[in-house]
Amino acid sequence: MCGISGVVGLNNISEALYQGIRNLEYRGYDSCGVALMNEKSLIVKKNVGGVEDVFRKENVLSVSSKIGIAHTRWATHGKVTRNNTHPFTSCDGQFAVVHNGIISNFRQLKEKLIQEGHSFHSETDTEVIPHLLEKFYKQTGSIEKALVQVINLLEGTFALAFISTEAPDQIYCAKRESPLMLGIGDETKFVGSDFNAFIDQTKNAIIIDDGEYAIVSRDAYVVKNFVTMSEIPKKITKIDWDSETSKKGGYPHYMLKEIYEQPQVVTNALEQDPASLDEVADMILNSDKTILVGVGTTYYVACYGNYIFSSQAEVFCPPISSDEFISLANVDSKSLVLALSQSGETYDTLSALKHARAKGARTAAIVNVMGSSISRFVDKAILQGSGPEICVISTKAAMSQMMLLTLIALRVGFKKKVLTKKAYEKSLAALDELPGIIQSILNERSGFIHRIAHRYSKTKHWLYLGRGIYYPIALESALKMKEVAYIHAEGMPGGFLKHGTLAMIDQDIFSIVFIPPREDKALYDSTIHSVDEIRARSGFVLGIHFDERGKNKDLFSEELILPSVPPIIAPLIQMVIGQLFSYFTATSLKRNVDKPRSLAKSVTVG
Amino acid sequence: MKAVILAAGKASKLTPFSTTRPIPTLRVAGRTLFDNTVDLLQKSGVSDIFVVVEHQKEVLIEQIGEHLNNGVNLHYIEQGKGTGIGDAVLKVKSKISPGEYFLLIYGDTVTSTNIFSKIQQSFHSFKCPVASICLPPSNEMFGNVFLNAHMKITEIIEKPKGDDLGNYVLSGAYILPETFFKTLESCQGSMEKALKKIVDGEGLMASMWEDEWLDIVYPWEILTANKILMDSWQTSSIARTAVLESNVTIQGTVVIEDDVVVKAGAVLEGPCSIGKGSYIGNNSLIRSYTSLGQNCSVGYGVELKNCVVLDNTHIGRLSFIGDSVLGENVDVGAGSMTVNRGIDWKPIAVKNGKKSINTGQSKLGAFIGDNAVIGAGNTIAPGTVVSPGEILPACYSVKNS
Repeated sequence: MCGISGVVGLNNISEALYQGIRNLEYRGYDSCGVALMNEKSLIVKKNVGGVEDVFRKENVLSVSSKIGIAHTRWATHGKVTRNNTHPFTSCDGQFAVVHNGIISNFRQLKEKLIQEGHSFHSETDTEVIPHLLEKFYKQTGSIEKALVQVINLLEGTFALAFISTEAPDQIYCAKRESPLMLGIGDETKFVGSDFNAFIDQTKNAIIIDDGEYAIVSRDAYVVKNFVTMSEIPKKITKIDWDSETSKKGGYPHYMLKEIYEQPQVVTNALEQDPASLDEVADMILNSDKTILVGVGTTYYVACYGNYIFSSQAEVFCPPISSDEFISLANVDSKSLVLALSQSGETYDTLSALKHARAKGARTAAIVNVMGSSISRFVDKAILQGSGPEICVISTKAAMSQMMLLTLIALRVGFKKKVLTKKAYEKSLAALDELPGIIQSILNERSGFIHRIAHRYSKTKHWLYLGRGIYYPIALESALKMKEVAYIHAEGMPGGFLKHGTLAMIDQDIFSIVFIPPREDKALYDSTIHSVDEIRARSGFVLGIHFDERGKNKDLFSEELILPSVPPIIAPLIQMVIGQLFSYFTATSLKRNVDKPRSLAKSVTVG
Repeated sequence: MKAVILAAGKASKLTPFSTTRPIPTLRVAGRTLFDNTVDLLQKSGVSDIFVVVEHQKEVLIEQIGEHLNNGVNLHYIEQGKGTGIGDAVLKVKSKISPGEYFLLIYGDTVTSTNIFSKIQQSFHSFKCPVASICLPPSNEMFGNVFLNAHMKITEIIEKPKGDDLGNYVLSGAYILPETFFKTLESCQGSMEKALKKIVDGEGLMASMWEDEWLDIVYPWEILTANKILMDSWQTSSIARTAVLESNVTIQGTVVIEDDVVVKAGAVLEGPCSIGKGSYIGNNSLIRSYTSLGQNCSVGYGVELKNCVVLDNTHIGRLSFIGDSVLGENVDVGAGSMTVNRGIDWKPIAVKNGKKSINTGQSKLGAFIGDNAVIGAGNTIAPGTVVSPGEILPACYSVKNS
């Protein structure tokens, strides 16, 4: 198989021709060639190799032309050589032809043409076409008539296109069984084996049927039947194509793509320069107090940080939402303010850092965007290296920040001798498992999460409950639900229930409970107690837990069972579930996932 | 790009509707599944379509004929011997040139929006073999697809063990290279093995499909397909030649085709569709998700609800048809009723071959095959299957002795 493409336009089209034929490279890539027209003379450039390679070698883009055809070849007749590469020209150099298909009677035609004095330079079936065109053009004086005579002589299959010095602003093309389409732009027209040849330029296509030929110029086209030569009215097919989709790979949304990138993001965090982590760890050790600041998702990341520093390093690092920082924080030269920001441009966080510095405090930050205002402002910035996060809803960036905070906390704990070497290494080993576990969760649980999210997508109120370090996970997961699905969701520590909220429990309020692994006995028992409290009031509970199936019979209304994992990574695994649950709820409700209402990627206003 | 539609299968689980027709010719939501597929393909930029036919092929070949010269090149190929999917795929081998990629699709799947555009866009960015995957409503009968972060399929498990797996499954659309035929031959025509070989070899990328998707296997799934398609409707259309008498009420999206007659007092609640030349009697109530075929007649005071009625079927006065599928040329006598739930509201089981299958649905009516005759006054139990051509005698409470 081969790919053919042609462009005719108002200005230089060589770049468009290059893009077009490159998009057809999947149809064959052993050799490639183009024919362009300069001042009424044909310029043919071709060679063996891929499209990019040939265009570079032959310096094709340096030629300026308003019309051109190109071909990418997958050899069927004849070896892969320069001579066997399309386009082929006639003896007089007036016709240049590209062809996809197989001309089955080319031997007879070729013999006859040789007898008539035509000389051939290739082993291909295609080369008969330009010579036949030359012959019949001489007889009839009309390119169109010549084309019709030629195609009625050809046996086999073809989609062909040619240009001629005798009609320097027209592309002729014809089809029998091999695919051929026209692309109809305003000022430019395209010919292609399929719409990949022009989809980046226009979505208006005309599908040429078997037995039809077309004459295309920059501002007009006509399609005719090659037996009757009568015009055939053609309908424009508007190709159903969203140009963003290609950038998302096979994913339907950036949000899902970024959720799926988390194994890699965690790996990147694990490979973060240890010196950099040590530096921040030392800053924490040398400060009387450390305050974590963030806003929105990053505030919940800071809440998580508070728990992880407390449990792993016995350091109390209160989280403060950036916008409240100025009213709340008392900082001085013995203080460290550690900020979290994906974009590094968040207005509230930058203001908090400026305020802290004015009071003499030291500053540090974990940011994703290199060279951003926050990364330049702080005394020490850790670049999280999560790659661009395009979806407005933060997923992988938050995951990475939590990982980095965990790594710093472990270092502080180890340096403070809160953690023994053994405990420290055990935790690091557990973190190493995280990418693989997230990957298997994505591969083995997505269907369940999707089904549950779909089933309960009409729910109006969700209560997200967690205790201990699972509380910030509940907060963050609830925020995801609000941001992307526009459903009321409230994160709350389990202990709050009996201080008022239980009064709200009825058949309209659904709860999601993040249950720790059983090893964490005290936390596990108290969380289960919260579940019992809700169930006792006939409330709905979706339990996300690590127990075996059937162990919690009748405890939950619905359950999502996760594989058993080390406790230190359990909250991060549950966060992935929270992300997917919000995502699938949002897709069930047909929300605009990547650009949810009332939210911008980086909030740079106060 | 060329597309290949596999439409040769017998779909025996779709009894009583499969013996008399190939599945793609089922008229659901006013159009045949085949027309729907061809439309989507055309909109996705496909120019040449090969349809592999065998079971009841004449019906489909006739339909392919109707698409001639409509901006798309349709050809059919007879499968002949061999029954597997792989055998059907191998039939198109000669139509695909060396090095060419083609779109392979199963003819019995239904989607709400254009899955073929999506997979071609994925192909546009990956430039290598692609399989469309989706999350089905249940994973009982599907295999699991495992992915890495770059959408590369790392593993396909046909029959997952245990009940803890729940994930993406293959959704019956692929873009494959011509070399696939060789792979398929080396695997003795086993599609399963050939796909695994690609996964382990040159690689198979995934294209995630997130909108509605359904593989029609059982007869009650015809109703689900009908709902998926009707829910995707944006506009109503009433043909110029349709006659709507006085006091006809229309709500929601409706499609009323040429030469339809709706008698006075009828109520049409959308989404519903009334096929060409059909007749709706006085005071009938056509409720949502009703797809009435062509040239059907519905008598006085009939209630139709969530049902698919195929062409040339007659429903006598004062009947109720709900959550049911009626074949072609069925004759339902006056005062007949498809009871659509049990008194206990328990999920309804339907007999399928030798097995009885729990549909999980608490409301389900009857499945009546082509040319069946239901005598007047029959009350049909939920989940009943009536074979094609079967005659149920009328039920009289008083007989002339």
